[in-house]
Amino acid sequence: MKKLIIIFCCLPTFCFAKIQVATTTTDLASIVREVGLDKVEVFSIAKGTQDPHDIPAKPSFMVKLRSTDLVIAQGAELESAWINPLIQGSRNPKLMAKDGFYELAAELDPIEVPKGNISRADGDIHPGGNPHFQLDPMRLGKAALLIADRLSSISPGDKDFFLKNAQKFQTLMNDKLKNWKDRIKKTGITEAVTYHKTFSYFCDRFEIKCDVQLEPKPGIPPTPSHTLSVVNQMKKRNIKLVLIENLYEDSVAPKLKQEVPNILIDVVPVSVEGEPGISTNEKLIERLVMAFEKGKK
Amino acid sequence: MRFYILFASLFFTIFFSNRAFSFYTPSISANALFLYQNSNFHKEDANPLNLDEKPNGFDVQETELQFYSDVDPYTRLSLLLSVAPHYVTDGVKISHEWGIEPEEAFAESNVISDVTLKIGKFKGAMGKHNTLHPHAYPFIGAPLANDKLLGDEGFKDAGVSAAVLVPTSWFNEITLQYLKGKGDNSEFNSPAAAQGVGLVHWKNLFDLTDSTTFEIGGSFAQGGNSFRQTTALSGADLTLKWRPSEGGKYTSFLLAAEYLSRKQSQAGLTDEIGNGLASWIQYQFAQRWTVSYRYDDLGIKNTFDPNLLPNGTITRNSLGLIFAPSEFSSYKFEYNQTHDTRLNADQDDTEKSIFLQANFTIGAHPTHSY
Repeated sequence: MKKLIIIFCCLPTFCFAKIQVATTTTDLASIVREVGLDKVEVFSIAKGTQDPHDIPAKPSFMVKLRSTDLVIAQGAELESAWINPLIQGSRNPKLMAKDGFYELAAELDPIEVPKGNISRADGDIHPGGNPHFQLDPMRLGKAALLIADRLSSISPGDKDFFLKNAQKFQTLMNDKLKNWKDRIKKTGITEAVTYHKTFSYFCDRFEIKCDVQLEPKPGIPPTPSHTLSVVNQMKKRNIKLVLIENLYEDSVAPKLKQEVPNILIDVVPVSVEGEPGISTNEKLIERLVMAFEKGKK
Repeated sequence: MRFYILFASLFFTIFFSNRAFSFYTPSISANALFLYQNSNFHKEDANPLNLDEKPNGFDVQETELQFYSDVDPYTRLSLLLSVAPHYVTDGVKISHEWGIEPEEAFAESNVISDVTLKIGKFKGAMGKHNTLHPHAYPFIGAPLANDKLLGDEGFKDAGVSAAVLVPTSWFNEITLQYLKGKGDNSEFNSPAAAQGVGLVHWKNLFDLTDSTTFEIGGSFAQGGNSFRQTTALSGADLTLKWRPSEGGKYTSFLLAAEYLSRKQSQAGLTDEIGNGLASWIQYQFAQRWTVSYRYDDLGIKNTFDPNLLPNGTITRNSLGLIFAPSEFSSYKFEYNQTHDTRLNADQDDTEKSIFLQANFTIGAHPTHSY
């Protein structure tokens, strides 16, 4: 009888234990929620308002990672400065194993992969390519499938469940993509200035030219001479929209407004939870599409 | 000669690491510290009969070469070589020589739950500052207590270590170390073969908010000393850090304090007791700019050092300004005012020093601990 009671008490733990997932960004956490639903518990190390290049490796994250089954990162060296010390500090052998740490960027056809010799003289260059794929609906859909596959390896019995949810998410992204593309096309905006190369995938997908950045080089804050060259480019090419990721200061905004007439400068979130109300990947991209619509007005 | 061999080896390693062999080569980084200093207690023209280890002027303070990598699925290895100049005199002329030494060389476990085991030569977990490398010091020099009680290179030795992550809801780590006691530190250099040093460090860190953490730690070490008696160290540290989760790239604040005490015994003499406190603040007011201030002191009673007064106290105020163009370079300007028991040539007991330090890192340098 005693044995039966013990088995009965432990049964829920074995049968209904949720997969514990940590993600480096809120964008990935949002996808994991869509794919895993109630079979997964997920937390993001970076907040949506933080620059994921530069997260303090707080020991409190090591405590959270101690009982984690899987860490999912964007990859392409985005988190390399802080994720390894956190995983090592967690002293969790599951995360040190090959399957415990999963970087997605390399499997999502990265863009802006540098060619030839690169050095830090070029700024904060990522040898693995641009890591900010979170603003491309197509790649988000593919990321959901990859995540479903990895969750299935932890809980093979739920493979169909994860796959179905991932496909549903991918379909949503693909359906919305057409709508978003049409709306951006209607704005007539074909070029925009951004602070960092966070929008490269977004611009690539929506056929916007975003080759002018407020940073003179990745990771280097704007300088007066570079700001002047941005002003000249905007005037020459008639660029009227500036998107400043809300991770960065908008201190150059007054200068741009003063020098270039009739421009819209929008300080925008670039991650889920980067702004109140932006709770999903869909809402984040919707917010950015609306920034373009606002730029048209 | 060793210096050139080392750099030649590094060059070839980096050359091959950029190619197909990158999988097999460890992560490599190098750091260089250049320092200009000027003090009313030092001179530029050094006297061969009275060697000044820290003459005024410009010099290479230290360079570091660091290699680290996983050995296999079970272990990772770190090797840190320090290359630093020092002055040697034969009584007629002073020569500037370079020395290379393994500052740290240790292997750590990769696959044990809740514990990190470590073996090799490493910095003892005696407080928080002692575990830092010079290029990560918040000020140019270590706190007076660390410098005088643990030696100018800190407490480091060969030994074994186990850092246990205690299963609590906050970060709670207990580190136990046994060190050989025959290393660079005279306070533990026992002539008895089996007399090592036992050390325990307890570290707790609490997230007060998403932006603020509070860390409190305590340390104790005891071992045989060169007088065939016992030396005991005890320490405590507090750190409050604030870095907002919105706009944290542009502003942050740190308040830290560290207390260190050393008690040394020698047969037939009253115990020597030294203790000191360092407390400092750092305020980052722009993406690249930080100001800092430190007060630290050191008092030694019944000193065994015949060159010092039996009961002396040193106090120091330091004011710093740091400009960091990127995470891989920084320039630190610092002014120190030190009240000491010593007098300079002008019979002044207040040392006034200015420092300008340039700090550069290349390669894959591991992240410093939080």
